[in-house]
Amino acid sequence: MKALLFALLLLISYTGFSQQCNITLQGHIEDPDTREMLSAATVLILELNKQVTTDARGNFEFKDLCPGNYSLQISHTGCKTIIEKISLTKSRHIDVDMPHEKNTLTEVTISSNKGNKNTGTKKELSGKELEKTKGQSLAEVLSRLNGVTLLQTGSTVSKPVIHGLHGSRILTINNDVRQEGQQWGNEHAPEIDPFIAGKLEVIKGVDELKYGSDAIGGVILVEPRPLLNHAGYRAEINTGYFTNNRQWIASAMYEAQPEKLHEFSFRIQGTYKRGANARTAHYRLNNTGSEEKNFSLAAGWKKHSFATELFYSFFDTRLGIFEGAHIGNRTYFDSAIANNRPDPVFTGENTYQIGRPYQKVQHHLLKSKTSYKSGKNKFALQLSLQKNYREEFDIVRNSNNYKPQHNLAITTLSQELSWEHKQNAQLTHLIAANTMQQDNRYAGRYFIPAYRAYYFGGYYIGKYSKNKWELQAGARYDNKNIYTNRILQSGEVFDEYGFNFSTFATSANASFKIMQGLKTNINIGLSSRAPQANELLSNGIHHGTSTFEVGNIHLKTEKAVNINWGAAWNIASGKLSAELNLYRNQIDNFIYQQPIANEPVQTISGIYLLNIYQQNNVRLQGIDFSATWWPFEKLDWQLNYSMLRAKNIDSSDWLIRMPADRIGNMLSYHFKDEKKWNGSYITFEYNYVFKQTRTPDETFVKHDYKAAPNAYGLINVDAGTTIQIQNVPVSISLGIRNLLNKAYRDYLNSMRYFADETGRNFQLRIKIPFQSKQIKE
Amino acid sequence: MKKILILIIFASTLLSLNACKKFSEGETNDEELITTLQLNFTIPGSSSTQSFKFEDLDGPGGNAPVIEPIVLAAGTTYDVSLEVWNKAANPPENITTEIEEENASHRFYYSPSVGSNIVVSNLNNDDNAVPLGTTSTWQVGTASTGNISITLRHYPGTPPDKQISDPVNSPKSGTDIEVTFNYTIQ
Repeated sequence: MKALLFALLLLISYTGFSQQCNITLQGHIEDPDTREMLSAATVLILELNKQVTTDARGNFEFKDLCPGNYSLQISHTGCKTIIEKISLTKSRHIDVDMPHEKNTLTEVTISSNKGNKNTGTKKELSGKELEKTKGQSLAEVLSRLNGVTLLQTGSTVSKPVIHGLHGSRILTINNDVRQEGQQWGNEHAPEIDPFIAGKLEVIKGVDELKYGSDAIGGVILVEPRPLLNHAGYRAEINTGYFTNNRQWIASAMYEAQPEKLHEFSFRIQGTYKRGANARTAHYRLNNTGSEEKNFSLAAGWKKHSFATELFYSFFDTRLGIFEGAHIGNRTYFDSAIANNRPDPVFTGENTYQIGRPYQKVQHHLLKSKTSYKSGKNKFALQLSLQKNYREEFDIVRNSNNYKPQHNLAITTLSQELSWEHKQNAQLTHLIAANTMQQDNRYAGRYFIPAYRAYYFGGYYIGKYSKNKWELQAGARYDNKNIYTNRILQSGEVFDEYGFNFSTFATSANASFKIMQGLKTNINIGLSSRAPQANELLSNGIHHGTSTFEVGNIHLKTEKAVNINWGAAWNIASGKLSAELNLYRNQIDNFIYQQPIANEPVQTISGIYLLNIYQQNNVRLQGIDFSATWWPFEKLDWQLNYSMLRAKNIDSSDWLIRMPADRIGNMLSYHFKDEKKWNGSYITFEYNYVFKQTRTPDETFVKHDYKAAPNAYGLINVDAGTTIQIQNVPVSISLGIRNLLNKAYRDYLNSMRYFADETGRNFQLRIKIPFQSKQIKE
Repeated sequence: MKKILILIIFASTLLSLNACKKFSEGETNDEELITTLQLNFTIPGSSSTQSFKFEDLDGPGGNAPVIEPIVLAAGTTYDVSLEVWNKAANPPENITTEIEEENASHRFYYSPSVGSNIVVSNLNNDDNAVPLGTTSTWQVGTASTGNISITLRHYPGTPPDKQISDPVNSPKSGTDIEVTFNYTIQ
């Protein structure tokens, strides 16, 4: 009540001085420890409810302010929100130091050689960078991070690849819960709505241990924004339209904390997305439409040292598969891939309709997390339930058949109990135990068996920081029991296997601040991954490649030793910053598919190439480099380079399907803020992907069906601004992907055998935020 | 507190609604499975029938299919009819009737090996007077050996747009059956 009165008083004073309201307040925000300029920090004048975000150099500006006393609320991810009181009589500039929080283990935040929290290597996408990607799939959004690429099946299905690794070697953590869907297949995209995320992160290092011992490639964190921590409401409407496939998106979010119930806070969010057939530079691909319906609910209760949160999300998608890539046996596969473009039968239809073959996927996630703080201790219990349904509709003989030919359902329950103990200002311990139960069922065509799996495990992580040093170390143990069976129609048990795998992981990380603005980080980790059900027991035709895949029950656990070294440098003038990351991942018993050319599989529908799972020792090593240069106040140039060398050590040959080297260039111009327009920018991007020349030797053994495609360069343009329309800051942005409408193919897209990638695409996005006036301290 | 309860109830209702989608664990019922292609040969005027088949009872993979070599008499003309079965189903499913019902979207092709002494003609037509090929006439020449490929193509389009001139590898159709029999003419 007092605060309300205070606000009222301020409002009166505000109107009283309205004649001289031409004061400009400028400021600069940086981390006092690393001198990192904090971009995308929000600065809110509480009394006026006016908000701006800092630019890439950590600067912000308020115009047309009246003289008076104000409270600035400044917040930034990974930092404690601070409130600065200032008094304004004339235009002025302020410098704000904003230290990052240290040694907080419970918040899922990771940090890095970038200067955030005490952890390992991290790359994150949030704020404006994340907004530029609205409407794209999770994997496409992540591929904006240096070192992350895409593994695709056509234009509708994409999976993230981190440093050459994908699938079950990467863990995807959706709101603290390990995503358990059908991530084993190349044509199974993560079942997550990117609109849920306030921040996307890719982490490597000690914090991986929180999620599993099998994160050989890294961990992807999808983190929603925290629930509102003050009374009032906030709402946001996002819409978008993409011309290439006439895709439109609508997403809405509403969150609130009741005035009379400060302990309670909630959020509702939903997204609808629909796209028609996609067009390449020269032709449109039939049956490549998609439709997505997602929503989520979150509710939290916080009182004193007790906090509990309930989260539910539902993801539903229907994806068309390009028919020209759904080939039968070898005879037709070979002739289809020999063509430079798909037969006209498969191109030219411009429709939203999705026909066979298509996929329908649903994913439910229900999660509850409760924590209790007592002095130096914090206890947390997390429970989750996931249900994943996947239906695949093939081309069928009988036109009256509406059933899916392949039907999978996975149910996963997981429980975790953790204890965090802050021994002193420098040292924190985290110890946890978890269990997980999984049930997989199928109906229809056999591909992987039904199974039940039981997991239990535990981990310890310790973090220490003093002066210029930040040290972390941890270890984790997991045990996995799988019981499988495959039953034929008659009820006769075809085969039945039980597996038990114990896996161990450990990791240590040290980072050291050499001098002001220069920090280095080294991480050494051991992780191990038990073979998945499909690697052990798959047995069936894979239509996309005309292969017959056969699992191997004798596969052993993969063991990886990963060394990561990084350095980050910001020069004092703030005009240049650079980051370098070198990695080396040695994986023993790496599981992969090998085509066996001389043992074709004879079926009634023709001959298929046999693909078996086998193991070898491999080594992946590479470099990620990025630098940003601000030659002038308003202009910046960002350069990214990533390189990977992946070798099979046993055969001293290159590994198949590894991302080619690439260079990214981004030139951005930030316009001066006008009265009604602010945060205006224009960005030109030129991304060049080299030809993958390091492919397996085809002289003696067949590995691939077609040589790697040529190098390509794409130009993208983005421009955006925020307009004040009746005090609502409406953000509008226009992007053009593949400006020159280049026809190209990518080595990591299995569609490259048949068709080009999508052509030019104009993308329009509008964001309208609303919020309540009363925002309390 | 009430709101939390409402949310919990809402979420659990959603989950239980979905639980209706149950199916028993690990049920293989590939209704698209074809296990058997059988050829029945009759000499016009005679009542005896000779049969040869391609059969893969456990479907793709697993045990190798059984392919019976075709043995025919030199200088004879046969009426040939085809049978397509899914014998993994219980009771066995006769797919021939299904093909005949949707005759406008199916077509059999017969390709004897180069230099073969077999001429296949007189394929039966579908409702639109385009060849279907569930029945045909084989003219067998002098004693020799060789092979013959039989392909069943299926047109998924609506309408199927099946034309007389469509080759066996027409992109309009996809392969359901593609088997090769060895033959001996004696």
